[in-house]
Amino acid sequence: MSFLKFIIKNPFRRKNSAILSIVGICIGIVVIVALGGITNGLVSTFEETIHAGGADFSISGKETGGSAYGTNTIDANWTDKIANVSGVNEAYPIYVVLTSVGDDYMNTLIGIDPNGTALADLSINEGRIFKDNASEAILGKIYAEDKGLSVGDSIKIDGEDFKIVGIYETGDSNMAGGVFTSISKVGDLMDDENSISNIYVKVDKGADPQEVADRIDAMYGDNITTVSSVMEMNQMANMLNMLQASSWGISLLAIVVGALGIINTMLMSVFERTREIGVLKAVGWSNRKILTMIVGESLVITLLSAVIGSIIGVVLCSVLCPMMGLNPLFTPYIFIQAFGIAIIVGIIGGLYPATKAVKLPPTEALRYE
Amino acid sequence: MSNIVEINNLVKTYENGHIKALNGIDLTICEGEFVSIIGPSGSGKSTLLNMLGALDLPDSGSINVAGYDLVSNKNLNVFRAQKIGFVFQLHNLIPNLSVVENIEIPMFTSKLSNSEMRSRALDLLDAVGLRDKASLKPSKLSGGERQRVAIARALANNPSIILADEPTGSLDSKTSTKILKQLIDLHRSNNVTLIIVTHDMDVANLADRVIEVLDGKLVNAGDNSLLENKINLD
Repeated sequence: MSFLKFIIKNPFRRKNSAILSIVGICIGIVVIVALGGITNGLVSTFEETIHAGGADFSISGKETGGSAYGTNTIDANWTDKIANVSGVNEAYPIYVVLTSVGDDYMNTLIGIDPNGTALADLSINEGRIFKDNASEAILGKIYAEDKGLSVGDSIKIDGEDFKIVGIYETGDSNMAGGVFTSISKVGDLMDDENSISNIYVKVDKGADPQEVADRIDAMYGDNITTVSSVMEMNQMANMLNMLQASSWGISLLAIVVGALGIINTMLMSVFERTREIGVLKAVGWSNRKILTMIVGESLVITLLSAVIGSIIGVVLCSVLCPMMGLNPLFTPYIFIQAFGIAIIVGIIGGLYPATKAVKLPPTEALRYE
Repeated sequence: MSNIVEINNLVKTYENGHIKALNGIDLTICEGEFVSIIGPSGSGKSTLLNMLGALDLPDSGSINVAGYDLVSNKNLNVFRAQKIGFVFQLHNLIPNLSVVENIEIPMFTSKLSNSEMRSRALDLLDAVGLRDKASLKPSKLSGGERQRVAIARALANNPSIILADEPTGSLDSKTSTKILKQLIDLHRSNNVTLIIVTHDMDVANLADRVIEVLDGKLVNAGDNSLLENKINLD
């Protein structure tokens, strides 16, 4: 038998107490993993949305109420006005409408200038970009796979046949399942060539997006708003930072509660094994070996809790979050955090009882009834 | 024959000096000797045994065991691991470990590999006649068998001295005789010095020398001429 095996065996002598400790620490780990996954998922979705395309921010009309892909519109001539603002490098409009697409009675059709697709973060996976004002469309990979469509097929949009000329992928989850065509074609279909939904803005190289957004707000703030402006990005980022901070706060609470639980369990264990510790001293175990044994036992409990807690956290989050419209994202950092906390709790929780055990005079320990 | 134990004017007090557990003990014990220490309860015999095993330290005096000066030595755990094997009145086996694993516990202080530890533990179980019980938990053994496992554990690191504190105190007379016989056989076959604390005169008289302690003083250091004669006869 190795020393390690001895350490692993020991905590389960008092099964009920060990299980209670594991449950206590598990709850903390589940919360850390689940909150971490949810926070990461929110950050990821937020970043995908905010960094839509290569654009630094987007602009919409005041009346849209901040809905980036709503059907409310602004006048198309805002694109030229924005393009002329100092610091703006590129400004491309998009026109988002809800109309019949293929079998779907209602789906999102997005019109964009063929030259502005880079700002919308579209990368052509297969085929090519549509031509301006042609009855051509590109489909999101998810949509194409779902509908069994490929390049060369045709699709009916608002009653008109469109040729599918490309399949795209995008980091923007709002657009991954959509259909794109040229903005002029969408204007044709809607019989409204003077309206747009949003304007994607890319600032000059070296320019501060925040300053440019502020400038636009100062000039045209009465009519338009920088929907996904850097300012809002910062506000949102602050909110997410607070969420992450609260996640750390809960982790800290988990450390305190877990450490108290494990101290209690290990103290009871040392108390019940007083005579045994006396025997270990009598057969020549050093204080360091006894300390290692008790801290090791504490770590066995907390690490096992971390494994079980992580599994439960991931499973629970993966099942429940989609029901609430959340997409959790589990990064290695979350598990490093969870296991790091388990190790800290294990060491803190084991150290005090271990010190007590080490200080026990062997003769007293051996006399203990 | 060289002395394995040399004690001079050993004093140990408790409760701020109000209780003198040992009051100026002088004693020598030869290597390979079997000594029993007798005396009434509270006489200081267990305290003396604890001093010999470095489980406790004296207030004054000197104590040298197996070449270790126990007063000045800081690594007493090394001394205990290498030179001493303890047998207690209660077996003190670890309940969740098997019999063979219990014997391996003292060997964690040695540099033996896991397989060497296992092999030595099984050999010791052979010596106490419990090889077939190696994988059982202590709760599956009788009181006598548990004490035999404790004896095997005491021999795990090839000690120079076995210190036994009332080793048969919790056993019936028939089992006691069997255990003592085994202990004495192992003392002889391994040439280990055996020191037993007991208040049972039948047990004490099995020793080469009987030492009597009373009120912390050695009232009878015994006569080890019998031992000399016995060795000469051998």
